[in-house]
Amino acid sequence: MTTPPPKRQKREAYRRNLQNQYEAHQSPNVEVTQVKMPQKKFFRQRAHANPFSDHNLDYPLTPAHMDWSSHFPAFLDPDTSKTTLAGTRKLLKDVEVADIGCGFGGLLVGLAPILPETLMVGMEIRISVLDYVTSRIHALRMQQQKLKSGATTENTVQDSNNTEQKPLEDEVGSTTAVVPGNYENITGIRANTMKFLPNFFAQHQLSKIFVCFPDPHFKARKHKQRIISESLNAEYAYVLRPGGLMYTITDVEEYYHWVLRHFEYQSEEEKARGGVKDLWERLSDEELAADPCVQVMSNETEESKKVTRNNGNKYVAVFRRKADPEWST
Amino acid sequence: MASFQHPLQCLQYAQQQSVTSAGILVASSGRSIYSYAVDNGKCLDVWPKNIQSNAEHAVDEQAPPEKKIKLSPGSDGQDEQSKGKSSSKKAPGKQSPEWTNIPILLTSFDGKHVIALTAEDKTIRVFSLSQEGQLEELSSRTMPKRPSALALTPDGQTILCGDKFGDAYSLPLFPGEYVRRVEDSRATKIAATNRTVHSQRNLHSLEQQRIHAEKTAEKAAKGEDSVDNTARDFEHQLILGHVSLLTDLISVSLPTGGSNRSYILTADRDEHIRVSRGVPQSHVIEKYCLGHTAFINKLCVPSWAPQYLISGGGDNFLLLWKWSEGQPLQKVSLEGVTQTPEVNVRGIWAVSAEQSTGAPAQAILVGLEGSSTLLSYTMEGDALKQQESIQLSGNILDVTGVDSHGAIIVSVDNVREPGSSEIWKSSPSTPQILLESFQATTKEGSLKWNPTTDDVFVTAINAAGTSPIPTDADDKQKKTLDGALYSMSVLRKRQHED
Repeated sequence: MTTPPPKRQKREAYRRNLQNQYEAHQSPNVEVTQVKMPQKKFFRQRAHANPFSDHNLDYPLTPAHMDWSSHFPAFLDPDTSKTTLAGTRKLLKDVEVADIGCGFGGLLVGLAPILPETLMVGMEIRISVLDYVTSRIHALRMQQQKLKSGATTENTVQDSNNTEQKPLEDEVGSTTAVVPGNYENITGIRANTMKFLPNFFAQHQLSKIFVCFPDPHFKARKHKQRIISESLNAEYAYVLRPGGLMYTITDVEEYYHWVLRHFEYQSEEEKARGGVKDLWERLSDEELAADPCVQVMSNETEESKKVTRNNGNKYVAVFRRKADPEWST
Repeated sequence: MASFQHPLQCLQYAQQQSVTSAGILVASSGRSIYSYAVDNGKCLDVWPKNIQSNAEHAVDEQAPPEKKIKLSPGSDGQDEQSKGKSSSKKAPGKQSPEWTNIPILLTSFDGKHVIALTAEDKTIRVFSLSQEGQLEELSSRTMPKRPSALALTPDGQTILCGDKFGDAYSLPLFPGEYVRRVEDSRATKIAATNRTVHSQRNLHSLEQQRIHAEKTAEKAAKGEDSVDNTARDFEHQLILGHVSLLTDLISVSLPTGGSNRSYILTADRDEHIRVSRGVPQSHVIEKYCLGHTAFINKLCVPSWAPQYLISGGGDNFLLLWKWSEGQPLQKVSLEGVTQTPEVNVRGIWAVSAEQSTGAPAQAILVGLEGSSTLLSYTMEGDALKQQESIQLSGNILDVTGVDSHGAIIVSVDNVREPGSSEIWKSSPSTPQILLESFQATTKEGSLKWNPTTDDVFVTAINAAGTSPIPTDADDKQKKTLDGALYSMSVLRKRQHED
């Protein structure tokens, strides 16, 4: 038996602690003095995952089998007789927003107070990164509860002082104020959306889908792994309700054109041939300016901050899902 | 010792209107397609034509293509193999067929055309089938990825092709003049910039890319541009895609409020059945039929009950669906049918066989891979009702209904032991049984299939045989032959660590 390398030992110990902190908080008798935000350095994972391989993924048989109850305890239907097809408790409302490839969850945290009554889920294929998102949301919820219960803000203040003095990139996101929704409306799940999106969401269930700074897959032979493609756009149209919005942002100019090319007809000839682009229309700049989600997407995700630091460009494109066309006979 | 004959891998029955004969049975076996007259079982034609002469003269004329096993008989087969490896490169114009089997065969609705897929070269071939059963190859189109399913649109004018990569394409039945669309110049443009990649390693590879792009551009300027051999020189349009291996694709026409709506149903290895609109609106996904827990292999919508779908694959059950609603109606257990722990549904066939007494017998027949028991069901209301199974002399390979006979014809594996997909019989039985034929009788609501007695047709084909498998085939060659007929287990997901 070999012992795991020290780095992994440290990681595991750190994550155990976090889990203990969370569990301790769940039991009412224990007073937690300080809620620590998780540190990203213990959750890093290789940036790429192969979407074509069979990971050991958990996914529901159908959307009606999905157990959301542990993800959104604040939205549980009080009527315990109502259950999903898998026998778990139902929620009062359906998940409506999906962040595909949510990474470390910056977008979810940014959107949570803006859409406090909307259930949102981040989907991420990398298991460690998803663990971080989950820990982060747990920590945020705990902080909110402490703040709400009027506990001494000493620790939290101290905490925020710390971050001011030493702006650690790795430990950010502590909140000092009660926010609408208390982060009870966001969660993360591990999923390969390229394969299993229709297992999680029913037809027309979603009102918004976000694809923020997707893996650009620069090499031409890797383009088929891109999260935007004509075949996948048909699936996005399936889960998105007519009028729903598909948000995209990237810092790679070529990818931006790729996105446009896969949502908009490039010529009259192409339009006459028809295709999946019949289902989408692009939002105007005025519409984008009026949408607070675009602001969050452009400034609050981890990747967007990184792009800002590196003086990169950001390319935003948002598309509205149109109603299905009349049946052609 | 008599040698084994290649079993008949696919069967298709073609009846042309305005022709008085009983129709033609088209079958694939080994690397050939055969056509037989249904009234007397006479072999009408074999494609490719030169296959016999090939088999006789191949020995010293040509090397077998790479990765192919040698199928011609002869004691010096082994020498030929090794020689083939050393001289390798195929001689153009004088090649033996570049495939060893034909896994998909389809006939057009009017019975005048046959569509076949040759396996290793990924080529879709369209043939005309004359009233006399003559096969003439009209076109051959090599697909970018290996096709796993072929179907015809309801109008019969378009081939739909699903491939191992999850994409489905539409191709006109008859390829017309093709003008390649002007597409964006490939590759030379580099997507990354030093604003989007930052690590030293990435910056280094960016520099390498830049140098490479310059070289390519130089070459192109000099006219040395390499020919883009991945591009297809025939019309084909991507109509939909799964991010998974497509296992089956069918095209269905469903009467809806006075008109017929056309749909495409696709199944994949990741347990999804997708219901899309027909071409040209195949990008509109109408429903998903979710309920399988293992890969799906076959979809079947009976032409006599188009509102129902029966699906099966790696699960030990079939599912019956009202597919236009995505609604499962019934789970039909397949437990206990085979001795093996894993159930692989090889085929689901909807047949409608005329009976001497009144109404035709409509049945759903289900064959499992490596099983010699053909399961039989009838539709009653919104459910499948199990009927007496049919026991065959070998593993079931394919089934087709022969309307003019009021019979079904089952192709069986004469080479391997019944119940096994890899254990070969010690010696060929005489006469070898390639086909069996059955007729239906309905009695007090239950359907029974009885062997057709004195079927000239089946007897003639069994006696004539197909092409011989070399008697000295070694284990590796046997394994390749097994793989061509029994390939489903590779679809099953094996658990592994992330």
